[in-house]
Amino acid sequence: MLHIQGLTASIAGTTILRGLDLDIAPGEVHAVMGPNGAGKSTLSNVLTGREGYEVGGTVTYDGNDLLAMSPEERAVRGIFLAFQYPVEIPGVGNMYFLRTALNAVRHERGEDPLDAMTFLRVAKEQMAALDIDPAFLSRSVNSGFSGGEKKRNEVLQMTMLEPRLAILDETDSGLDIDALRVVADGVSRLRSPDRSMLIITHYPRLLDLVRPDRVHVLSAGRIIRSGDHTLADELEVDGYASTVAAAAS
Amino acid sequence: MATSVADRIAVGEGADAATARAWLDANGWPGRRDEAWKYTPVDEILASLEVEVVAEELVIGEVVAQEVAVTSADVDDLAGDHGGPRIVFVDGRHAPHLSTSHPLGDGAWCGARGDGDAAEPVEVVRYDGFQALNHLAAHEGAVVEIHAGIEVDLPIHIVHLAVPTASRLAQPRTTIRLGDAARATVIETYTGLPGATFVNASTTIALGEGAHLDHHRIQTESAEGIHVGHTRTNSGADSQLRSTSVMLGAAIARHALDLTLRGEHAHANLEGLYLPRGYQRHDNVLTVDHAASHGTTVQLFKGVIGDEARGSFGGHVIVRPDTVGTSADQTNRNLLLARTAQADTRPWLEIFADDVRCTHGATVGRLDDDALFYLRSRGIPRTEARAMLITAFADEIIDHLTPASLRGHVHDAVRRQTEDDT
Ligand SMILES: Nc1ncnc2c1ncn2[C@@H]1O[C@H](COP(=O)(O)OP(=O)(O)OP(=O)(O)O)[C@@H](O)[C@H]1O
Ligand SMILES: [Mg+2]
Repeated sequence: MLHIQGLTASIAGTTILRGLDLDIAPGEVHAVMGPNGAGKSTLSNVLTGREGYEVGGTVTYDGNDLLAMSPEERAVRGIFLAFQYPVEIPGVGNMYFLRTALNAVRHERGEDPLDAMTFLRVAKEQMAALDIDPAFLSRSVNSGFSGGEKKRNEVLQMTMLEPRLAILDETDSGLDIDALRVVADGVSRLRSPDRSMLIITHYPRLLDLVRPDRVHVLSAGRIIRSGDHTLADELEVDGYASTVAAAAS
Repeated sequence: MATSVADRIAVGEGADAATARAWLDANGWPGRRDEAWKYTPVDEILASLEVEVVAEELVIGEVVAQEVAVTSADVDDLAGDHGGPRIVFVDGRHAPHLSTSHPLGDGAWCGARGDGDAAEPVEVVRYDGFQALNHLAAHEGAVVEIHAGIEVDLPIHIVHLAVPTASRLAQPRTTIRLGDAARATVIETYTGLPGATFVNASTTIALGEGAHLDHHRIQTESAEGIHVGHTRTNSGADSQLRSTSVMLGAAIARHALDLTLRGEHAHANLEGLYLPRGYQRHDNVLTVDHAASHGTTVQLFKGVIGDEARGSFGGHVIVRPDTVGTSADQTNRNLLLARTAQADTRPWLEIFADDVRCTHGATVGRLDDDALFYLRSRGIPRTEARAMLITAFADEIIDHLTPASLRGHVHDAVRRQTEDDT
């Protein structure tokens, strides 16, 4: 469903992605690991249409040219990014935001908009499952949320929007042990034969719980190694140095 | 030149008119050198006043209300119905057929009155040619009169509607008087039909000791129009004023709010929102005169400026000698929506006392790209996402409007104004 070929991206004269290839089939879960500054978040930004990058190469999504679509178009067609650093938006209510987003996505799917009552019921169910205080609905988007609360809010949005391709950028970072469990369970529940995932992480913990089909190492803007889920554990023991050195030689 | 407009309008008979005339003859119009008019395109206003408005003889008294088919439904659309009495004026003339009355109880009255004892006497302090031109004219003024100790719950709504006609000068005059410990909410809506209108408005507010007024001034006139407005307020001891000004309309709009704290321990919250678009110019000029001790004033004005538009805020704070315990805060925040949009902010503090706490802050920013991308990445279209962020910025002011129906009305108007830009 996602086919990335020779993807390059630079910003402000700095080249970050240097010819990246990746294929994700429907229902597959891929993990991307790699050193700080390798370009992982840049990859998520480019896939979701963040402006400001000079982008080369091709990305097709369901056979369509993804790079030609606006961020909102990608979103309503099922691409979702759980941000590494979710943005605080004071003054925009979480509930209004979520309902507007959900109804935009439903509209694209040809479904009727959810009225406020139905939305509230559904949202509260999901919030209970993710152990989020319902009071969060009446607060501004991410405003004053703790790091862990922001991450849970990302998972809540993902759960509500039911994407076909979910990109999780370090959704497991900065979580306490219980929160990690809640988030991992949330992500696991979303695994389905027609939902693909791209999980960016530094830790094997989440991958133990969400068993990826493939694990890739992204370094200096390229994928330099790929393997099955055991690769994550291997990297945990050895670090990136030997992999990076082997790729360079 | 200075008095040619003045010569052509129907002049009032009271002492005010004579005072105003003498003042205008002696002082003429403001110019760019006047600090308080620095950002107002006075030349353009005067050109319009002299060349276009006075193309025909202006005769007040036989104007428009009948000629122009304005219906109650139009007034509902333009100004909203906020549940209390609504007194409608068309081009400064009372339009009883468009007005609705609600009994306010003993000691409270609102309606239209001719010149004479209706208005507060003219004060030629910080006076200017436009105030004089207004006070010179014959009026059917809007009057709100709440006697001492009377509390009015229903919001009193005064609607000044401008229509584009041959004799285009509309000079609405409003007087709001609250006796000691009286309480009221007064909404002034300045709105109009599409076309070139010219409104020169004057409002005078007097608050007795311990009086409590919520005053909202909403200006949504035609984007082709010119609006010059002045609100003069005198606050008595222990009085509380909550004032909100929302400026959406007119090609050139200026509103000057001149507040004098006359009695000790008076408090005022002065808030404003202006949203010029296209080539609109919106100018807010505040003067807060702490003439008595222990007064507290808080100013918060926010501008959302798009396209080639220009929005300005000038805040003049005066703290008089021999006063103590003044607290004056002033904040002006601007959101620029385009590279070509312009915000001007100009604090002007004149402090002649020692025991004073004054703060001033101004910011000019742009829409947060990260927030915009976040919203769009969830499927919310760009225009909608922008509107959400702009509304979030504006809501800090809109949320303080009362009653809820006014909040809704202004919210929708702001939404419409910000939705279609790019
Ligand atoms: N706007 C920018 N201007 C210049 N350089 C940038 C910009 N954004 C990112 N970079 C650089 O690009 C490189 C890749 O950044 P990116 O955020 O994609 O890394 P990452 O792999 O997600 O790292 P981490 O694991 O720390 O999250 C970094 O060296 C970063 O400093
Ligand atoms: Mg990153």
